Amino acid sequence: MVRPGEHDILLTSMHNLNSRQESAVQRANYMWMWFSKLGSPKWFYELSGKWLPWLVVAMSLLLVVGITWALLFVPPDYQQGNTIRIMYIHVPFASISLAFFPLMAVAGTITLVWRMKLADMVAKTAAPLGAWFTALALASGSIWGSDIWGTWWIWDGRLTSMLLQFFLLVGVISLRSALEDAEAAAKACAVLSIVGCINVFVIKYSVDWWNTLHQPSSGFSLSDQAPNPPEVWIPLVIMIFAIYLFFAVSLILSIRNEILVRERRSQWVEELVQGT
Amino acid sequence: MASSVASTNNDPNSVPTIPALLDARDLFCERDDRILFQALNFSVTEGQVLQVKGSNGSGKTTLLRILCGLNDAYRGTIRWYGRAIESQAEEFYAALLYMGHRVGVNKVLSPLENLRWTCSLQQQVDTDELMVALAEVGLRGFEESQCYTLSAGQQQRVSLARLLISNAKLWILDEPFTTLDSLGVKQLEALLRGHADEGGAVIVTTHHQLKVADLRELTLG
Amino acid sequence: MSETRTSTGQAFRATLKRDLLIAYKRKNDVVNPFMFFLIVATLFPIGITPEPERLGEIAAGVLWIAALLASLLAMDSLYRADYEDGSLEQLLLSSHPLYFMVLAKNIAHWLVSGLPVVLVSPLIAYMLNLPPESYLILFVTLLLGTPILSLLGSIGVALTVGLGSRGLILAVITLPMSVPILIAGTLTVQQTLNGASLLGYLAIMGAMLLAAISLAPLASAAALRISVN
Repeated sequence: MVRPGEHDILLTSMHNLNSRQESAVQRANYMWMWFSKLGSPKWFYELSGKWLPWLVVAMSLLLVVGITWALLFVPPDYQQGNTIRIMYIHVPFASISLAFFPLMAVAGTITLVWRMKLADMVAKTAAPLGAWFTALALASGSIWGSDIWGTWWIWDGRLTSMLLQFFLLVGVISLRSALEDAEAAAKACAVLSIVGCINVFVIKYSVDWWNTLHQPSSGFSLSDQAPNPPEVWIPLVIMIFAIYLFFAVSLILSIRNEILVRERRSQWVEELVQGT
Repeated sequence: MASSVASTNNDPNSVPTIPALLDARDLFCERDDRILFQALNFSVTEGQVLQVKGSNGSGKTTLLRILCGLNDAYRGTIRWYGRAIESQAEEFYAALLYMGHRVGVNKVLSPLENLRWTCSLQQQVDTDELMVALAEVGLRGFEESQCYTLSAGQQQRVSLARLLISNAKLWILDEPFTTLDSLGVKQLEALLRGHADEGGAVIVTTHHQLKVADLRELTLG
Repeated sequence: MSETRTSTGQAFRATLKRDLLIAYKRKNDVVNPFMFFLIVATLFPIGITPEPERLGEIAAGVLWIAALLASLLAMDSLYRADYEDGSLEQLLLSSHPLYFMVLAKNIAHWLVSGLPVVLVSPLIAYMLNLPPESYLILFVTLLLGTPILSLLGSIGVALTVGLGSRGLILAVITLPMSVPILIAGTLTVQQTLNGASLLGYLAIMGAMLLAAISLAPLASAAALRISVN
């Protein structure tokens, strides 16, 4: 059912539990070819190698423009003064942090259903990145809070659910490192990511609920900050794109690294290493 | 299972007159970057005993676990009566009896309680039937004692009693002889023979020289 | 042959019975988490304050956290012995849906580890000076909430059952997931003090329980297959 040459995309193969009925095999093969191309580590390595310089250029450009604009040219907030500039770091990190569990859950589903190697590499490298981004979002939020709330930490709904998401990510990372068998780790983390993704949403709603009941007048909340004038929100949008690109570049670099480690025995990696 | 002859017509690889109970094609398995086996083909038909041989670490246990679906880290196809297993999982698992290295005997339960549970996962049993089976494997008088008081061989016998009760067509046994004494070995051999004579099939790993009529061998590594 | 095959219901009952029997024979596994619950609940007055008024304020939270930790501690015994002696393989190879087998094990486990905690909770609530009007609702929330804790914990145990030492990793995986139940449970109890209507709160907990019953065993089953692989 799986011809040699197609199977480099697989952790193993499409074995009996995944194989289709005879009648569907032909149809499935087209999907299969497509996935095999998309999921082939070598193909990804080559393609991402071509993209990477452009992404890095775009990211640097946006970062420089965004940071300069945000730090030097945005007018101070009438309430918060210069502290508002922390928003340009915090909001992009916080917004991208919310994407990690959905990303890992999708990658995990692909790992479980189609056993695509690349999907597991995404899941594996996204978890530590997610923990870092979440930690940065927490740290920047805490620094921001130290000025506007007068304290480094309050049990604000967003901070709390962000902290819990951080714990969940640490759980995924430690499960990955605890399981020795790479394939078992891939699948176990896939299950945990899917469960975790559902849980992140439940946590978010329940923490909001908890928070509104405990602090009916929390005074200031980050969401109150609707940056209306264009000179305030345009740099924010630029920074959001810059940080997304930063994430994309970090993810691609980690995946490329992971590919080289996992494929270290394959011919193309040997050729690559000897060629340089 | 009654429709076995008809359904084998779908399978080009089997001889039409003898339906291949289990048919493995082009199995490939690698573990920790080491290929355990590749291009492995074999089939088992009714009345056959397939002995899987090979040195330690050659993948015997892995192969057996693959066949019963406990391990899915392989490539290739496995068919049950000519059809993919997942299209008839319930039928397949109802007809399968697996005995692994770990015999599946809970230490705090008695042989009777253990046997009752493992058997009732598959088929309805009554206590008399269980008692007879336990007596037959030499556990008379131990039916109600907790299993941690029994020796390893006796615990293995609790598991063997399943063979007496089970209606399963295919037995997959991983090193079932290891902890048995010579009497137990003889008894188990007789069980294997009897099962094959009744049209069942056995896949077994052992270094023991089996005395059965239709014995096939598969050597790994 | 097929007329003697067990129905899924029979296999479910057999598994439930077996696990209850094991718990009956291994009383330590049942008693220890229960004692743990009592001891943790005792630590709070000692560590925070014996003053009745302040104790009454935190009593619901203390009971919930103690129940959460006791449930975590009890989880470890859910699949460990079965994994080590090979019974888990037999369970996976039964011709019945693994969902129901896992559910049977979870129910048995909750009956021996969760239910005693729920039953003794009014006594601890009295000792912690929880306002009497909250007793009933505390009891009900624990009754609805502790099964969810067991079902969620089961996923964590199933994922880590193959690991040699898994005590801490199980906590890291499971505890953050339990937060929504902790929130729902404690908030509901607190609402009795505010005199607000409880129906909505209980409905949320009931919905959580239903969602957990229908989804968590699926995740546990998938995790068990991976761990046994």
